[in-house]
Amino acid sequence: MSSALLERATARTRWRSWLYRGLGAAAAVGLLAVLGVLIPLDWVTTLSAVYMYIVLAEGWNILGGYAGYLNFGMVTFFGVGAYTAGVLCTQYNVHPLLTIPLAGIMATVAALLVGVPALRLRGVYFAILTLIISFLTQVLVTNLDITGGASGIYMPSLPFDPFTNEQIFYYAFLGLMLLAVLLAFIIEHSRFGYALVAIREDEDPAEILGVRTTWLKTQALLLGAFLAGVAGAIYAFHTSYIEPQGTFSLDISIDVVLMSLVGGLGTWQGPVIGVPLMLVTAQVLRILAGELPFFGSTLPPEFDRVVFGIILILVALLAPYGVMGLVRRVRGRRLTV
Amino acid sequence: MLTTVSLSLLVQALVNGLLLGLVYTLISLGLSLTLGIMGVVNVAHSTLIMLGSYLALELLQRLGLDPIISAVIAVPVFFLIGVLLERLLISRVARTSQTTGLLVLFGVLVVIEGAAILRWTTDTQVLSVSYTNTSLTLDGIAIAVPRLIAAAIALVLVLLLDTFLRSTLYGKAIRAMSQNLDAARISGIDTDRLSLLVFGLATATAGVGGVTLAMIFPFDPQDHYRWLAWAFLVVVIGGLGSIRNTLLAGLLIGLIETLSSVLFPFQYVYFIVYLLLVVALLVRGQGLAGSQSRAL
Repeated sequence: MSSALLERATARTRWRSWLYRGLGAAAAVGLLAVLGVLIPLDWVTTLSAVYMYIVLAEGWNILGGYAGYLNFGMVTFFGVGAYTAGVLCTQYNVHPLLTIPLAGIMATVAALLVGVPALRLRGVYFAILTLIISFLTQVLVTNLDITGGASGIYMPSLPFDPFTNEQIFYYAFLGLMLLAVLLAFIIEHSRFGYALVAIREDEDPAEILGVRTTWLKTQALLLGAFLAGVAGAIYAFHTSYIEPQGTFSLDISIDVVLMSLVGGLGTWQGPVIGVPLMLVTAQVLRILAGELPFFGSTLPPEFDRVVFGIILILVALLAPYGVMGLVRRVRGRRLTV
Repeated sequence: MLTTVSLSLLVQALVNGLLLGLVYTLISLGLSLTLGIMGVVNVAHSTLIMLGSYLALELLQRLGLDPIISAVIAVPVFFLIGVLLERLLISRVARTSQTTGLLVLFGVLVVIEGAAILRWTTDTQVLSVSYTNTSLTLDGIAIAVPRLIAAAIALVLVLLLDTFLRSTLYGKAIRAMSQNLDAARISGIDTDRLSLLVFGLATATAGVGGVTLAMIFPFDPQDHYRWLAWAFLVVVIGGLGSIRNTLLAGLLIGLIETLSSVLFPFQYVYFIVYLLLVVALLVRGQGLAGSQSRAL
């Protein structure tokens, strides 16, 4: 067989495999879109939460997974987004739909303020700095007048019945999630993504070889912050009440890291696998909590945090590439090192 | 604002700040030791401090033991906890990548905090003993007795640790290890065993630190992040490898806290310390890691 013929044959199989993948993706999206009108209300709410966390995890994964810079303060950008929507909507009468992109922009600006100095730090010091900045933002929001202090902000509600409301948020989070997953997919297969992986593997040689490390890391942080900001704004309208303790909760930052890690750091599929897995685990634990014995009474519901911590330790030690790492090992073709 | 603050109040704040600074030195020493000698950034450090506070509470409520005795008991108890943690987790982490270590220690933080909430709920607790609300008055300057005792315990432990690292053969070996791990190993120092000792000592200081903090402040299972920030600030300002510098940094943070609480409303203390930490990390964070290229 001549090589030209072989090339045409492989090109055709490749084209066909892409076609199948595209069809599969379209079918999955169609299914999720139809689910919004078919399933009961509490499932719609649960799936909305899944989509929201996928958005956060995909956003976190750009810098944390591909470039290996662990951001332990992802909630900062989420909270800034939520509060931007809240403040603009209630104090300045900006149209709610307009506040959502503005929240994304505001979170991006916050990321720029944090990131430009912070990304000069490497490794653990970056992680600690992002953690502290999330505390700092929380203290600031708790003590400012414009944010309503510790008593928070009541958001305006949509003028529909509860079920329609939930469906609207379902499609809002679904759309944002598809955008986030698509963005991660494109990044993973682009020069930008390869450069981020080069930074993770060894930053100094990457820089010597011409990777503009600081600028690329900043871009990765900004993209993630934008997604988190938009998600925060939609969340604010969804919960209808925001206050500093919950909106800037460290638990959100930790959950995002854990979910990405369980799914597989530095893969676009990671968050899509990790988020539902962990949220289902949390749900199961909550159901178990009422039934298992614990020092004479039943296990309190808060014990899911302990289990999450143990999962975090075990996955980090035993399966640092998460579910995707295991999948790739089984398939025998590990793409990342 | 300053004009309304009388001189004796200022002197009182200074004295209180220095006493508090000794306690802050104690709670920061462990973080500095593990980072400087083993290259491990122990983000779970503050949860060990929190456990120390609860040890004092349990011993007081169940056996009626004074926190001073609890501080002595905390040393072997937390040394053992540290040794177990080192064997189970830290020794594995030290050989893997930086990010893995951080994730594992964050997991430890989440587990300890979650378990503490299960056991003790999120209620705020105080240690109340006979001398809790008493104070000594000298020339119009009132010094709370618990704070004085806590500072004394901290001072004793800091001095003991300093002497240990300076004057014993073990201390010498540990200092050698912090300067050059490979060279220390080549010279026949059993660095694995010393890591066990170092982590045990670091955890013991955290435990006793928790007991002394509980004598001064109310506590709950979730406010330990404050002490994580305070301890990191002391370590970043004081640098690694010298207990005396850590002591100076600890005293400085104590003074900053009490002086700013005289000048500003209470919640701004958090804001000021977090902001200071951000600035200090940006200015010095990488320099701290400079000699520690294998830093976790």
